[in-house]
Amino acid sequence: MAISMKTSRKWLQGYFEKELPAAEAIADALTFSVAEVEEAKGDLIDVNILPDRAAYMLSHRGVAMEISAALDLPLSHDPLKETLPTFPETDRVLVTLDEDGKCARYIGALIEGVKVGPSPDWLKEALEAVGQRSINNVVDATNYVMLDIGQPLHAFDAAKLTAREGGYAITVRASEAEESITTLTGETYALPEGTLLIADGNADGRPLGIAGVKGSIEAAVTEKTVDLLIEAASFGGTAVRKTAQALKLFTDASSRFQNKPSPALAGYGMAHVIELILKVAGGKLVGVTDVFPNPPEPRTASVSLARINEILGASFAADDVRGAFNRLGFSYTEVEDTFIVLAPFERNDIEIAEDLAEEVGRSLGYDALESKELALLEGVPAQERFRGIEAVRDFLVERGFSEISTPSFASEGEIELANPLQSDRPYLRASLIANLKDALTRAAGVAPRVLGPAPFVKLFEVGTVFTKHGEALLLSMGVVAIGGKPAQAAEALKENVAALEQDLLQIPAAAHFTLDGQMMELNLGKLNLEKLGEEYAPISAHMNAYTPFSLYPSALRDIAVWTLEGTEESEVANAIVSQAGDHLARIDLFDRFEKDGRTSYAFRLVFESRERTLADTDLDPAMERVTDTLNKKEGWEVR
Amino acid sequence: MPPGRLHPLTADIREIARIFATMGFGIAYGPELEDEWHNFDALRVPADHPARDMQDTFWTNEEPRRAPRTHTTSVSVRCLEDMAKEGKTEGRMIIPSKVFRNEATDSTHEAQFYQLDGFAVGPVGSVTLAHLKGTFDRFYREYLGEGVQVRFRPSFFPFVEPGVEMDVWYEAPGKEGRWLEVGGAGMLHPDVIQNAGLDPKEVAGFAFGGGIERLLMIKYGIPDVRAFHNGDIRFVYGFDQSLT
Repeated sequence: MAISMKTSRKWLQGYFEKELPAAEAIADALTFSVAEVEEAKGDLIDVNILPDRAAYMLSHRGVAMEISAALDLPLSHDPLKETLPTFPETDRVLVTLDEDGKCARYIGALIEGVKVGPSPDWLKEALEAVGQRSINNVVDATNYVMLDIGQPLHAFDAAKLTAREGGYAITVRASEAEESITTLTGETYALPEGTLLIADGNADGRPLGIAGVKGSIEAAVTEKTVDLLIEAASFGGTAVRKTAQALKLFTDASSRFQNKPSPALAGYGMAHVIELILKVAGGKLVGVTDVFPNPPEPRTASVSLARINEILGASFAADDVRGAFNRLGFSYTEVEDTFIVLAPFERNDIEIAEDLAEEVGRSLGYDALESKELALLEGVPAQERFRGIEAVRDFLVERGFSEISTPSFASEGEIELANPLQSDRPYLRASLIANLKDALTRAAGVAPRVLGPAPFVKLFEVGTVFTKHGEALLLSMGVVAIGGKPAQAAEALKENVAALEQDLLQIPAAAHFTLDGQMMELNLGKLNLEKLGEEYAPISAHMNAYTPFSLYPSALRDIAVWTLEGTEESEVANAIVSQAGDHLARIDLFDRFEKDGRTSYAFRLVFESRERTLADTDLDPAMERVTDTLNKKEGWEVR
Repeated sequence: MPPGRLHPLTADIREIARIFATMGFGIAYGPELEDEWHNFDALRVPADHPARDMQDTFWTNEEPRRAPRTHTTSVSVRCLEDMAKEGKTEGRMIIPSKVFRNEATDSTHEAQFYQLDGFAVGPVGSVTLAHLKGTFDRFYREYLGEGVQVRFRPSFFPFVEPGVEMDVWYEAPGKEGRWLEVGGAGMLHPDVIQNAGLDPKEVAGFAFGGGIERLLMIKYGIPDVRAFHNGDIRFVYGFDQSLT
């Protein structure tokens, strides 16, 4: 969601008389007062601007303002507080706004007699420092002003527009069906109907640019350009965003417009770009046409000192608040203990008391807030339903079931997604059974390694399913017998479900079994989970650090050995482990019997490697060592 | 037969629930497939907000469309609506449940994961940003250990004002300590309180949210978030688990 604003420390320094600290220190100050810094190295400070501050912070001036507030370093000048020059009006630029509400302001300026060429070094270097490519002095001037104060600008080659009696006509209109445009960089876009366009009003509305996104190649400024038509406008954020989205064309201009900067900014953008073009490309300003039907009223927001402290939980004094507002460059009046703040025009995020409380909080530093504990509430927190569900889980775990969690997206179902992540899983699951079946199959494959010589793998899941009739919280349970015997598995499941119904739920829960009887699901939502949980305290499960299993398959070897009567299992196991090597992952006793004064132990050894699949050449030598060692023991004999 | 295993998320959500219960928080439930009002509009995420784009949110092809919820703050809205109906002005809930985001998956991103969202509201002045800090100081100290510290950074979420990002200082066993981003939070925006039918002049409070898998990944050293929900028992058995 954040938009990257790449700033140059050198560029920012232009806003201060005092020397700024190193980029890393600036980054820290910004991170804790306003916005996270993605990267700060050498001259570059890349700031992540969130939507609420994008209207003013996608600019060096906006970032400088925040550095000024954070470090309490005064700005040497603030371009947005300076008085704008008055430019001559001209009837040689006619502007018509066709679309109500989608263009709040359009300023067109005509400059004649420029000399397009390379930019001066300072301008080139400034742009290149923030990752922009220098194109020519005119285009660079528009980009520079945009990156400096945040107003997107555009320069058209006036000679490529149609002149009538020496005048040009700009129309802002919606595109009709099947219009297309080729942009400055040569790509052609088919425009969705209704796309906001800049058009040549003297040439039947020929498109000159996609409003707020990118200009057309047909009016591009080149080395041969002599006369310029400059645009500083305020296009509707929603319209621009929709267009950028539809065309998948995201530009520096569109990312600024979509955050709805003030239309007042366009006036500053125009003043700055005229000054800069005349400086770097020469020429003469003919005049300006400014169509601005409804200039917004200045906005105020008020907050009392008490309210600020009530929101933040702080005990700031009026002087703290004054200090914060002063550093942020806010003008305000005080009426008793209420601050009435005149929001700077570029700060469209300042609307209500809470916004001002945030300004104070972040400016004084959230570190200054002490931790306060919430007061105790009467009564017991409502966790019965949770505890009821946990009671079911605990009941099953106690009976040897292990819990799994599986994806909600499925290849079959009743509710389909318009935009699935995987085309073969377009539905929300209507049952837990398919995932359970898959999990049981995979679990059976790894059971010797994970569970040892257990006769069954038993799994369950508690999860939500989605049907046309609504969603439901289901429990699925499944049992698979290791080494076959499906009937035994089905029998084991049936017994456990019966126990669940009788001993825990104390009602028949209407479980639905699969055809083979090895899996079932039941609707937990139909049970009174709150009642079940009323008196229940879930078991605490303590876990240690995660040790993943190898991704490579494990290999099994069985070994059986006669020992003297009275030999302990551990003695045999230790003898095996000492010789089996590093790849031995687990050892389980699976058989023991006594005959003729001897005891036979049979162990299953599971080997695995984290690097590769093991081969016989790995296992055979290990098993030979084990066999030799066991046979050397007095009275022992490998069978 | 020896006992089976709880899924690690279940194990830790119990711990989370226990800690929050000591601070008076209940546990709320609500639909995973949510309407646009509760997931977006009531939370001041406007219709043209990028978060509502197809590339961030899954949508059903129903009419009207619904979304597998992108956070469980949708349930917080439902709780606040219930409070308004019941005439209550005080409440605290956590919603540790599944959410969905339409994004490419990798070792730190999943399209479905669990989020610990929640809220505390009360009479104006009784639940403040300082209380948010106190609540999470305590939560993380109990969940991750005594050496933990919590800090706020300014941030933005449409449904809170002020909005903050929460970081915790955590020293994983055998590793150097570092600050980790664990979630977003802030004071519920008065419009949200109003949207739920409560009076923002009477009721105020904080809301918070963050991924739960991420907490477990930090705490137990789990390298890949995709292990949580793939149904593989090797993940569940990748921890020693003792039940008490």
